[in-house]
Amino acid sequence: MGEQTSAVVVKDLTKVYGQLTALDGLSFELEQGRILGLIGPNGAGKTTAIKILVGLARATRGRASIAGCDCLHHPKKIKRLVGYMPDTFGSYDNMRVWEYLDFFGAAFGIRRSQRRGRIEDVMETTGSTYMRDRYVESLSHGMKQRIGIARTLLHDPSVLILDEPANGLDPQARIEMRQILLRLAELGKTLIVTSHILPELSRICDVVAILNRGKLEAFGTLNDIMRKVSQKRTLEVQLGSGDGLERVAGMVREFVEPEAEITESPSEAIVRFRTSKPESEMGSLLASLISANIAVTQFREIPADLEDAFLSVTRHAEESDS
Amino acid sequence: MGYAIVERELIGTLRTRRALALLVGVAIAFSLLVVSRWPSDATVELSGVQAQEVFRLFAYGLLAILVLMVPAFPATSVVREKNQGTLDLLLNSPMPSWSIYLGKMLGILVFVILLLTMSLPAASAAYAMGGVSWLRQILPLYGILALVLVQYTALALLVSSYAATTDSALKITYGLVLLAAVVTLGPHFFLQGQPGWMPKAAEWVRCASPVPTVMELVGHGDAGSFGRGAPTTLARFAAFAAGSAIVFAVTTIVRLNSFLLDRPRPQGIVTDDRSTAQQWLRRLVFLVDPHRRKRGIGPFVNPVMVKEFRTRRFGRIHWLLRLVSLAALVSLLLTYAATTGTIDWGVETIGGIMVILQVALLLVLTPSLAANLISTERESGGWELLMMTPLPARSILLGKLLSVFLTLLLLMLATLPGYLVMIWIHPPLRWQVWQVLICLSWMALFAMFLSAAVSSLCRRTALATTISYALLSVVCVGTMLIWLGGGTTFGHELVESVLQINPMAAALTIIEAPGFTNYRLVPSNWWWMGGMCLLCVFVMLAQTWRLTRPQ
Repeated sequence: MGEQTSAVVVKDLTKVYGQLTALDGLSFELEQGRILGLIGPNGAGKTTAIKILVGLARATRGRASIAGCDCLHHPKKIKRLVGYMPDTFGSYDNMRVWEYLDFFGAAFGIRRSQRRGRIEDVMETTGSTYMRDRYVESLSHGMKQRIGIARTLLHDPSVLILDEPANGLDPQARIEMRQILLRLAELGKTLIVTSHILPELSRICDVVAILNRGKLEAFGTLNDIMRKVSQKRTLEVQLGSGDGLERVAGMVREFVEPEAEITESPSEAIVRFRTSKPESEMGSLLASLISANIAVTQFREIPADLEDAFLSVTRHAEESDS
Repeated sequence: MGYAIVERELIGTLRTRRALALLVGVAIAFSLLVVSRWPSDATVELSGVQAQEVFRLFAYGLLAILVLMVPAFPATSVVREKNQGTLDLLLNSPMPSWSIYLGKMLGILVFVILLLTMSLPAASAAYAMGGVSWLRQILPLYGILALVLVQYTALALLVSSYAATTDSALKITYGLVLLAAVVTLGPHFFLQGQPGWMPKAAEWVRCASPVPTVMELVGHGDAGSFGRGAPTTLARFAAFAAGSAIVFAVTTIVRLNSFLLDRPRPQGIVTDDRSTAQQWLRRLVFLVDPHRRKRGIGPFVNPVMVKEFRTRRFGRIHWLLRLVSLAALVSLLLTYAATTGTIDWGVETIGGIMVILQVALLLVLTPSLAANLISTERESGGWELLMMTPLPARSILLGKLLSVFLTLLLLMLATLPGYLVMIWIHPPLRWQVWQVLICLSWMALFAMFLSAAVSSLCRRTALATTISYALLSVVCVGTMLIWLGGGTTFGHELVESVLQINPMAAALTIIEAPGFTNYRLVPSNWWWMGGMCLLCVFVMLAQTWRLTRPQ
């Protein structure tokens, strides 16, 4: 991937606070218009990485650039290129939503004549037009998150960095937030999103980076990461009824590795198994089941789960440390 | 059950650094006081004058500590629990509201009693020096202090139950405490010895303050009475303190129920969406309606300054207009009354009243405006957002300071008509009036820069507000306590040296207000003020620069 086509380039980024290494040689590249999910346990270095990217913290070593602009040497230029939403909202008392956005628009030097239209646009994009006359401090958490995103969009940045945008939201608000983020990606924005709600991230992210103790443990698409961290896939065979479950389990055992984990679920009429065998051999298994007159209603691979990937990566890291 | 709250409040308070600093500071200060006055030779001083001097300083010091420091603890007590959500848990427990209140009250009282205990060795030493009586002086002093403690704690808890933020609770509490302890002395100071009902009323009003009672006890007769006899204030003060404490306590207990938290989110209806009649009515009432829809922030205007004005509840333009109108009206009425001869105070007395009123206004308003300039941003997370805008640090700081400066300028200008009338009545006063205005301008600048510097050093607004009020009170009110003891406890030179740092005293000497004619404080006071302002600006700039750097 060339640096010219990458919206975000991070190379060997390291941050040391005294004895603590908060970030240890972080490197990745992210293309324009993609959504990166930055995940990791508490204290993994996510916020440190974000703060260096937006120019609020200095790196001890390494370099980072956004749209070709060096984050470490040109923090002022970075402010115009990046829209940053921290995990705290930063509300001002006695200010209405419109006044709040007007202030940040003015702070970014947007002319008054253009600012009015720009505020309307970002409020429409984030579905918050109806809140324009509300007091900021009286908004619910979900509403504040929308206004936070609207604020980051005011100066039309090419990269948005959102720290925990779905944190504390109810399921409905989470769905709406997901739609907003996807809409922004459609508009060509590059997004870096941190979250603890992994199923949410897995639905919107093109790329995932897993950080643990300051180190990048995995980077890539969800399926890539799953394959890297776990050579085995989970497959399911569903039958018309639970009668032939034992027979199916026996046939599966003949195909997969001897130590493979096979479970039967009579209530669902399903046999689940984990294997590292290639897809071609799974095709042979399906053919054998059908030729044995077994009524197979579904034969499928269970999609990779971000939670599994996350736990697997962090567990591997802890095992190798110990 | 209430014991749990007492324990939690007390331990919570004792764990804070400011509590430790206060306890250690009081112990050290009073030990030094006794050591400095302890007889160094073998002769015994039978008159007891030395012991009385120590006791006076001791009494004023304790009173100043109570007035300046104690309100900070209860003022944040209820409002902090309300904002953190722990008040919900307390109100949801089987504890009755009086038990919660008592727990909070006792927690604070026990802490302050601990603080007062730190002064007992010094009190014993003063007694050992001879000439000070336990029964007639030391015990009554502690009795008065206990009353002050209960009254101000009850007041602060009541304010805390009404306030929306810890910051506003502190501002209102300090404003009311300064009003009760200091401003109530003003009318009597100027009206004493005059015929009519007003001096009598002023005599009663000043009993709301503990200062005259303590002065009587330490043998100063009466606050600023210059030898004229005055009736004893102890009984009046005790009745007022006890009565008001009971009223404050009952009101707070009644308020401590789930309805305290049962408030809807503000609807945020803008005036533009109301009926035409309502729009007109609001226009008449507000002059500048804060709820009308705004046009965007204009070009060539510092957006941070506009934001500061818009985010203030008190300090938005409609409030300022009211305050300025009131200040202008009072100053004009005072001078008009003097001109027409309805009151025979003289221009100096009128000038003195105006100076004290103006300083009181500056003292109450300035920290409430300036002490939250940076600390609130850091506390709410707004600082990080500001740092993410292309605004340079100097623009942010300038916008913030301008918002305070313009407010203070309006207030200063409001009293200008009064001073102009004074010059018209007595033209030779022109030069003096100018000098007074310079003193007051220094006062305003010093209060603004000091509060802003403190704000840049603190992460929490409540702490910044408390420290700002305390420092300004030491400069403007604390030094006046030394002046009150002038001629008896303290020599003329010492009083004059201490007053050098007080711009209000400097203004009063220029206007030749009663009691200030023997002091020369200008221009040394201006040099002091200039130096202190420079120091505060340097601290503020250095700290802001540090905060704007990437970490």
